[in-house]
Amino acid sequence: MFLHQLQLYNFRNYREQMVLFDQPKTIVVGANAQGKSNLLEAIQLLAVLQSFRVQRDRDLVQWGQRQGEIHGKCQRRYSTVDLCLRLFPHQRRTMLVNGVVVKTKDEFLGNLNAVLFSALDLELVRGSPEYRRDWLDRVLVQLEPLYIRLQQSYQRVLQQRNALLKGIKQGKMRYDPAQMELWNQQLVTIGSKVMFRRRRLIDRLSPLAQAWHRRISATETLTLSYLTRFPCGDDINAIQTAFYDHLQKRAIAEQQQGSSLVGPHRDDVQLQINSQPAKEYASQGQQRTLVLALKLAELELLQTVSGEPPLLLLDDVLAELDLSRQQALLSAVQPTAQTIITTTHLHNFADRWLHSAQILTVKDGEIQLNC
Amino acid sequence: MYTPPLARLIEQLQRLPGIGPKSAQRLALYLLSRPREEVTALAHAILDCKEQVGHCQVCGYLSVDPICEICRNPDRDDSTICVVCDSRDVIALEKTREYWGKYHVLGGVISPMQGIGPDQLNIPTLVQRVVKGGVKEVILAINPTVEGETTTFYVGKLLKEFTKVTRIAFGIPIGGDLEYADEMTLIKAIEGRQELQ
Ligand SMILES: Nc1ncnc2c1ncn2[C@@H]1O[C@H](COP(=O)(O)OP(=O)(O)OP(=O)(O)O)[C@@H](O)[C@H]1O
Ligand SMILES: [Mg+2]
Ligand SMILES: [Zn+2]
Repeated sequence: MFLHQLQLYNFRNYREQMVLFDQPKTIVVGANAQGKSNLLEAIQLLAVLQSFRVQRDRDLVQWGQRQGEIHGKCQRRYSTVDLCLRLFPHQRRTMLVNGVVVKTKDEFLGNLNAVLFSALDLELVRGSPEYRRDWLDRVLVQLEPLYIRLQQSYQRVLQQRNALLKGIKQGKMRYDPAQMELWNQQLVTIGSKVMFRRRRLIDRLSPLAQAWHRRISATETLTLSYLTRFPCGDDINAIQTAFYDHLQKRAIAEQQQGSSLVGPHRDDVQLQINSQPAKEYASQGQQRTLVLALKLAELELLQTVSGEPPLLLLDDVLAELDLSRQQALLSAVQPTAQTIITTTHLHNFADRWLHSAQILTVKDGEIQLNC
Repeated sequence: MYTPPLARLIEQLQRLPGIGPKSAQRLALYLLSRPREEVTALAHAILDCKEQVGHCQVCGYLSVDPICEICRNPDRDDSTICVVCDSRDVIALEKTREYWGKYHVLGGVISPMQGIGPDQLNIPTLVQRVVKGGVKEVILAINPTVEGETTTFYVGKLLKEFTKVTRIAFGIPIGGDLEYADEMTLIKAIEGRQELQ
């Protein structure tokens, strides 16, 4: 797929900007704080409806403005899609596909696929489990847009159940076993579906990541596994049974703490290199290689499933990679696949990246075409 | 910009659901242009409504009398009770003129986040009605949201030992096209499938 036009209005530090992409590779050059990451953030929002940096739309709309907009035109193999996202500081977003307002996120998702790689992704190795869960969820909503509904329902059940546990703990609500049981059942039914899909994703990503990792590191073996709070089998019924049993075991602890302690919101992805947990043992270089392997696996899987290469968005990371890692990346990206790269300087790039790339300069929220 | 009483009216109108600043201004200016009697009639209608309309003691539906017209109607089938979340749902079902049983309005759904538990809902009177006997079927017609599902199962469990409990099916609208139904609706429709008679 190819994003050939992007328009931004009152988005971050862009007032009104039209960008035309006319080459498979685009390099966006600019000093710090000029708007490089903001540009990639806008594209990622069209792909996953979520920013890699902030949660609130208030931060995305230009300060002092009442409405912001991201508008992209994307060429798919058999069709074109026009995606528009209107953002408001204190109001729900509006989503349009081909000029028509869509009510649910799953109708918007899946039209544009993108893999973003930024310095923040090192948190995939070092950071809290939340980073890894968010990563899985971002890939899943692109692969299986309906997953967003599961995720939203789960979130809702969790909030309600937490409110109930908290209310009971504070003595504001009565402990009603019948009601608790129903929230338990919903938590388990929906939560198991979330876990099942996340685990299936890990099973698909794992061999791909392992192969890429092997190619870059030559000798090391990477393994990915989905970690649940309780052991359980692979199929949905086995997950449900184990989840339900574990919930019963933790019931007292949950009431003491006043919140939900079991479920996909507490799961993690374990990353191991040669059977050692990467978080504790990997060197800086090993961590970079690992993250790169994860991103390449993500790229490859999205490409296999959708039948078209997703956009690759590299935020300030390419120049940081040594030439052999840049080479690995190059070999993963089809020559015609769209890649948008941001950087502060044009040196440190392998020649093949620069070759026939479109070069854009960004300064203070404005983009110019370099000739 | 507006003279104070007009500003107050616009502000009040704006609080109504679905009314933005522009519509509020249009409505206010329209009201201002109407004869005094017409405006008085409207103001009285609003006040009377607020002062006189309460909830039916039996079913919880909106009513001037202690017991509503539906509950009093001898032609309606006493042995079927349709349980809904609020009075709006009764109005929607009544418009179809296809349902001839009685209703029960819960007045909300279970939602701990808003401090609403079964105790805050109109559930005890429903149980009483069913326990008293003569009810052959309770139809649960509550939206299938996370909160709606919890409420449906909660009420269903309470009543199951006394009578037959069913729930309405969710699925493809009639005249709708399978191809255009969204996938979640399709999944619900498949879950609620029925044997062909
Ligand atoms: N909502 C907003 N409204 C206006 N400006 C904003 C908003 N959010 C962020 N900015 C500004 O956008 C500028 C550019 O941010 P961006 O993250 O894109 O920089 P960058 O070019 O990627 O820089 P670096 O090289 O340091 O990563 C920052 O100076 C920031 O203050
Ligand atoms: Mg940046
Ligand atoms: Zn009544």
